[in-house]
Amino acid sequence: MSRWAKQIQMQCKIPAIGIASSNIVHYATGYNFKYNNGMPIRYVSVPFPFTGQPRAVDVGYVSGKDMLTGQPLMTAVVNALTGPLTAEEMVAGAPAEEAVEPRLLPPDSEENLRQLFEDKEWTDFNSIILPTEKRVTAMLKGTSRKPDEVIKTINITGGARQLTVEKVAINAVMAGASPEHLPVILALATQAPFGNSTSSMANMIVISGPIRNRLKFNCGTNAMGPYNRSNAVVGRAFALMSKTAGDLRNNVNAWETLGSNLQYNSMCYGENEEALPAGWDPLHVEMGFKPTDNILSVGMGWSSIASVGASQSIYPTHFLMRDYMSSFCASGSAATLVMDPTVAGLLKDVHGFQSKAQLSEWLSQNVTKTAASYWGNGVIQSTAVPFALQGLEPYASWRKLPDDALIKPFTNPKAIHVVVAGGKVQTMWFVTDFSIRRGVLIDDWA
Amino acid sequence: MNRRRMLALLGISPALVTDPPTFARTAPKAVPDVSSTGGEGSITVMNPGIAGKLATRVPLAPPLDSLQGKKIYMVNLSWEGPDAANYLYGAMTEWFDKHYGTRTVVKVTAEGMFGTDPSIVKDILASKADAAIVGVAG
Repeated sequence: MSRWAKQIQMQCKIPAIGIASSNIVHYATGYNFKYNNGMPIRYVSVPFPFTGQPRAVDVGYVSGKDMLTGQPLMTAVVNALTGPLTAEEMVAGAPAEEAVEPRLLPPDSEENLRQLFEDKEWTDFNSIILPTEKRVTAMLKGTSRKPDEVIKTINITGGARQLTVEKVAINAVMAGASPEHLPVILALATQAPFGNSTSSMANMIVISGPIRNRLKFNCGTNAMGPYNRSNAVVGRAFALMSKTAGDLRNNVNAWETLGSNLQYNSMCYGENEEALPAGWDPLHVEMGFKPTDNILSVGMGWSSIASVGASQSIYPTHFLMRDYMSSFCASGSAATLVMDPTVAGLLKDVHGFQSKAQLSEWLSQNVTKTAASYWGNGVIQSTAVPFALQGLEPYASWRKLPDDALIKPFTNPKAIHVVVAGGKVQTMWFVTDFSIRRGVLIDDWA
Repeated sequence: MNRRRMLALLGISPALVTDPPTFARTAPKAVPDVSSTGGEGSITVMNPGIAGKLATRVPLAPPLDSLQGKKIYMVNLSWEGPDAANYLYGAMTEWFDKHYGTRTVVKVTAEGMFGTDPSIVKDILASKADAAIVGVAG
């Protein structure tokens, strides 16, 4: 919102103020102003929530108080548009001093350093391995890349922080990884940081290719549970590098209202490629990579629904998957199904799905939900309403439908990914709303 | 709306042809000890933090002397949908008109809060608005 107000002020030369709820103004006038926007936008603030309220409640906010100053809201609006500028509001130009972070921290006791890392929110608040220079140097032997190579610039909440190979190695040490994990973690760094919004975003990390076996990633029993070192340290490294490189701090610039426990490990697991039914290609092969390529894929989403029990003949598994998927918002038509090899076998042998793509296509054609349910999701309101307003189909037509009209929200079957994992202990599966991005070649980072 | 950003959510793009994997390194064993480089009982560790680049400061546009008879342009960013902002802006419009004889223009941006919409700026300039309000988000 600050970006919009800044643009209007700079290009139209008129005062522009923001109206937001108090939960977000703190970020807008604090961290965002300091590291991103640079213009001290004036805000007035209404209570939260304002969406989902009856009209009378929102209208009542206008005759209520400004949450920032305690003044009547409209008095605050008038003051924000007419009040004389302060000296601070007239500052222009580059900041006099840039923030610095020394490469080495001042020597201290282990106890104090652990406390410092927690105070800075550089940890996930589980114990870390302290990144001594010796350990980081040893970690860097896991790659041929130079320590000062910039992998990407993290600017999701401002600051344009340059994430280097050395910084990733520091996080890898902290997470408890070994040098052989470093290429995987460097590939993962290209996808950092993890999801961060007012909603409870989470991520999924899928490892594909021969490296799964070389580094002993768990693809079988308990693939998604806390039973394997590689799954644990790679997933944890994503959380640590996201927080350190993104400077993500609770209630400063990280504001997921519920948060997500998935962010501790980002569901890191490997696909059980050896147990795929004939004709079902591994995830990375479906993306166009060679079977021998070592690939890391990251998805972003919020939710998963489990089958809970075994597949039943009375109601085929893909029917239940279809039903459960109708609960998802279908943002970007995205979903990811994770299923035990036994489920994949049933879907192929009993129900005739000869490939993952056939299952994705069937789900795309058969998952339905009402227009009201689709538009009732806040993420869809923020992302698909603009598409509808621009006249883009099918969103423009869907917006005109009666509430009870059924739509098929998963319009793109290629955005419905299928991953097979698990130990053939139970015909178990998850459907999730995770959107998996194109995979990253791990070997590029060796 | 930044369409590239939104379409990236689809997670699909053409595959790249890549070379065979070169990952065949024999990794060294983990270093088990803590190096002591400071005083007795103290250790030195590397800093995972990265210095953030501070934003270049931009001053606010001059405020108005008064709202009397002015035109205010209200931008509905459609955060989580356009309804809430429309409710608020409707009530604010009545209030402005009653107290200041202020005219208002309310527009829902077709790009949403996360996009950029140059047409809004053009429209503000064309309408000769004296001030703007953007919102509502949470």
